[in-house]
Amino acid sequence: MSRKEELLNLLKDKLRGKFLAGSSLEDKRLFIDIKKEALVETASLLMKEGARYQMGVGYEAKKNGQGLAMVHTFAFDADSLLVAIRALTTEDKPEFDSLTPFIPGAGWSEREYIDLLGLHFKNHPNPKRLVLSDDWPEGIYPLRQDVPYDLMPPSAEEVAFRLDEAPPGSSIIPFGPFHACLHEPAHFAVYVDGEEIKGCEYRGFMVHRGIEKLAATELTYNEIPFVAERICGICGSVHSVNYAQAVEAASGLKIPRRAEFIRTIMLEIERLHSHLMWLGVAGHLIGFDTVFMQAWRIREKIMWLAESLTGNRKTYGMVIVGGVRRDIDLTKADLIKKTLSEVEKDMLALEKAIIKDKAIHRRTKGVGYLSREKAVEWNLVGPVARARGLDMDARRDHRYAAYDEVKFDVVVADSGDVWGTLVVRIKEIYEAIKIIHQCLGKLASELQGSPLAIEIEGPVPAGQQGLSVVEAPRGEAVHYVLTGDDNRPERWRVRAPTYPNLQAVPDMLLNNKLADFPIIVGSIDPCISCTDRVAVIDRKTAADRILSRQELEKLSREVRSKT
Amino acid sequence: MKVVAVFVNLIYFLLLAPFLEGVMRKLTAWIQSRKGPPLYQPYLDLLKLLGKENLNSGGNWAFRLAPILSFSSMLAAIALIPLTGQANILAHSSDLMTLIYFLTLSGFCLLVGALGSGNPFAAVGASREMMTTVMLEPVLAMLLILGTVRIGNFSLSAAVSGVAVSRGGSYFLMLVVYLLALQAFAARQPFDIAEAEVEILEGPYMEYSGPNYALLRYTLNLKRMFYAWLLVSCFLSFILPANFLFSLLLQTVLIIVVFVLISLIGATHPRFRIDQALKYYALLLILALIAVGLAVKGW
Amino acid sequence: MWLWNKIKQLTIPSRTGVVTLRYPYKPRPAPAGFRGQPVWDHTKCIGCAGCASNCPARTIFLRDICQEIRILIYDSSRCTYCGRCADLCPEKAITMSENFELATDNRQDITQTIELFMMTCQRCGRCYDLEIKNALDKLQMLGYRYDSLEVRKVIGQSTPEFEPEHLEKTATYRRPEKLEKSSCGKD
Ligand code: SF4
Ligand code: SF4
Repeated sequence: MSRKEELLNLLKDKLRGKFLAGSSLEDKRLFIDIKKEALVETASLLMKEGARYQMGVGYEAKKNGQGLAMVHTFAFDADSLLVAIRALTTEDKPEFDSLTPFIPGAGWSEREYIDLLGLHFKNHPNPKRLVLSDDWPEGIYPLRQDVPYDLMPPSAEEVAFRLDEAPPGSSIIPFGPFHACLHEPAHFAVYVDGEEIKGCEYRGFMVHRGIEKLAATELTYNEIPFVAERICGICGSVHSVNYAQAVEAASGLKIPRRAEFIRTIMLEIERLHSHLMWLGVAGHLIGFDTVFMQAWRIREKIMWLAESLTGNRKTYGMVIVGGVRRDIDLTKADLIKKTLSEVEKDMLALEKAIIKDKAIHRRTKGVGYLSREKAVEWNLVGPVARARGLDMDARRDHRYAAYDEVKFDVVVADSGDVWGTLVVRIKEIYEAIKIIHQCLGKLASELQGSPLAIEIEGPVPAGQQGLSVVEAPRGEAVHYVLTGDDNRPERWRVRAPTYPNLQAVPDMLLNNKLADFPIIVGSIDPCISCTDRVAVIDRKTAADRILSRQELEKLSREVRSKT
Repeated sequence: MKVVAVFVNLIYFLLLAPFLEGVMRKLTAWIQSRKGPPLYQPYLDLLKLLGKENLNSGGNWAFRLAPILSFSSMLAAIALIPLTGQANILAHSSDLMTLIYFLTLSGFCLLVGALGSGNPFAAVGASREMMTTVMLEPVLAMLLILGTVRIGNFSLSAAVSGVAVSRGGSYFLMLVVYLLALQAFAARQPFDIAEAEVEILEGPYMEYSGPNYALLRYTLNLKRMFYAWLLVSCFLSFILPANFLFSLLLQTVLIIVVFVLISLIGATHPRFRIDQALKYYALLLILALIAVGLAVKGW
Repeated sequence: MWLWNKIKQLTIPSRTGVVTLRYPYKPRPAPAGFRGQPVWDHTKCIGCAGCASNCPARTIFLRDICQEIRILIYDSSRCTYCGRCADLCPEKAITMSENFELATDNRQDITQTIELFMMTCQRCGRCYDLEIKNALDKLQMLGYRYDSLEVRKVIGQSTPEFEPEHLEKTATYRRPEKLEKSSCGKD
């Protein structure tokens, strides 16, 4: 009996009447419908079985007269199994039991739907506003179907997010909303005692673009990949591949093998790019600009490569549902090989120059330490988790695209600090190069001349669930798609790797020095845009008129002189 | 002649200091495989800043006056120094304490300006700057005292020329200490802690703009050049020729060499944390004390 | 050890040399297949609106201003240069050029407007086939979506005086409907 059937039987057995249905098109996915009373019981059963919490998805299933739905997804890494449990509630009593008390990593997922859907979570320890801007009117839930996607309430002046009280004896240093060490808007209120960090509160979600709402109301299946890849400025292919995989899974499509290999190559090129970029940024954050410049010099070659392959400096615009758009022919393969050998040489030189540098050790070893247990508790993913001894990698655990045919090592370190992350990411560069070479070999030999995309017969069936994971350079990204009518998904939910990792940052910061703040936050490589992708309108900045430059200048001076 | 020497001091420093920054930037760029800005870029930067608007974001006098005070006390310190070993007219009314006083005053003004800006990052920067000053000024004092002890005269030129009169244990120990402290004096990586761009956004300089910022930058350039000059004229005075012009020329070359050194070290180090730096400074201070002790013993 | 590391760091540039490009003076040529600004060939365009219906950024607008004239406006300011329009145009009227230096303070500089004289079918011009045969794309093949030439906007219509009590209004808010699917649908 496979693990899947085992779980299914276990749940059926334990839940009895509360178990409604279990289904899956694919053999590595399990979608379960339960009564909402059984949510906590099911989740704790799954956790006991060794699951890792991934994310929550809330949506309004009004079309089918079902009220509001909440889906929680879990991963069984050892068994390559993803499980999603779905419960429904009625609109007049939109309440679920909270999972956060025993799965802290579910905290944000639930808070998100308090804001966006007006759900209530019983026993949620911290039901503060998370996603919506502070001046968003109460009682309007953007993800509800009756709210238009372009609703723009006027901004209010007086409201501000209420930060928690600083612990006694410490003062607040505001990192954000704009700060040189954060490359995107986010706000960390850091409580410091002298130079020591005593705590931190995070207020983010300032760059919401309403992408998920847009996808559910405006875009069509094959337009979404081009919007999905722009969720992130770095992991473009990650999101478009992930989305496409979720749709393909939901509709039972099988794409050509050649397309899968090309997707794999794009993903690994993206990994190279991201790791090099992160290495540079990390160098910059500890004040070592030579590392910054040298890493980015190498990275530039990857960008030029991406430009030749996709027509864009980033790995954008390659993926559509059903396959890929452009081929990697033999000339392009040669170009890739040539670039990779240069990159490898350059990278080795750079690694040799910095890996034993005591000065770097001093700034990274023991900094941002988090124990293995904590890492499990917070559901950390990606290099941040691997640096804490967690041997997990979606490429190996939940094989997708062509990863079942390539050989590579999962790099794990156990120092639990920023240094570990640095080592993991540097080593992964060489693994990525290895993978690309294997893929190119396959493309040149067996898969010559096969098509790039398949013909899709007829529309995608509505009401199917699809779940997909991709190991982004920063960690596992999860996409959930519920197919709908009108040639567009009814619900598409994106969980970027930063989403779980960022939740653990306050823990990592504790008792470190203020000077280490940039590198600790930087070590998870936070992608604020990916994390914030969901809601509708950004905060106060969404003024309904555009200020001229003079006005803006005048305004900022006035504000400044008042304080 | 001795009056002219004061102006020679000022002109020499004011003209050369931005160029040295240019050298530093060019070299750093080269180490980073970049082309870098032309050597005269810092002059253009200063000119451009002078043409911009002064934003009085601190909203008080302390904030507004600090840059000009800081700049002028730096100039005052420079006016005092014996450029090629020759004391100038101000030597009669000053000694090494006056020099240290003006240097500290210059740094102190920057602190007042930073605190006056009311910016939390500037405040963190100021407190870091303060800790650095407290630890580093004594090292400078020790160096000059070493010279004084050797010659037995409190005048500045004695203090400067005294360091290298005989090159025994104390000379070499002090040289090592000074070289180790050079980066910190110049506030370059790994010791640009008070400015740390990614942590506290240039700290004390954060709120400044326009001419005021230009003055502060100029002050920093002058300060760096001063410490480089001090290294050359304290420890290498014995190789400088007697002829004023030749001496000046050789000195300039040596100062550029010192800047090359500063750039190389700066480009190959990450920034220290303040706690790590303080430990390092404490070590320097102890070594400097030992050096002075040796000098008293006559070694 | 310390010195050895530093020397290694310092000698990297001796191998790589200076990599800075003389950019504005000597631009690096775009590689083959580069996706720059799309350029319309008005002699080829048949006004089928395939590009407008499939542009993920919704930055191509079409409208009939009278019986015979159909206007196509491409407003580059929101274009993501994905190249979908060029892929899907049945007449290959769009080419992705190598032009990427598009910063301007005048929107007109990067806007392309085509007036098309329409003959037979008022709604869809001619029937066409998609380059990539994909049912998902075909579903969008018919006609074009609503748009607003005046404000050049599809996305971002808002209710300026929205207040909580106006939620009722939003409950009945209706998006402009898609135009009627016309008769010459599938080929
Ligand atoms: S798809 Fe081509 S033919 Fe049709 S309207 Fe656009 S440019 Fe014209
Ligand atoms: S390139 Fe893409 S975004 Fe730009 S007009 Fe064409 S389809 Fe629209």
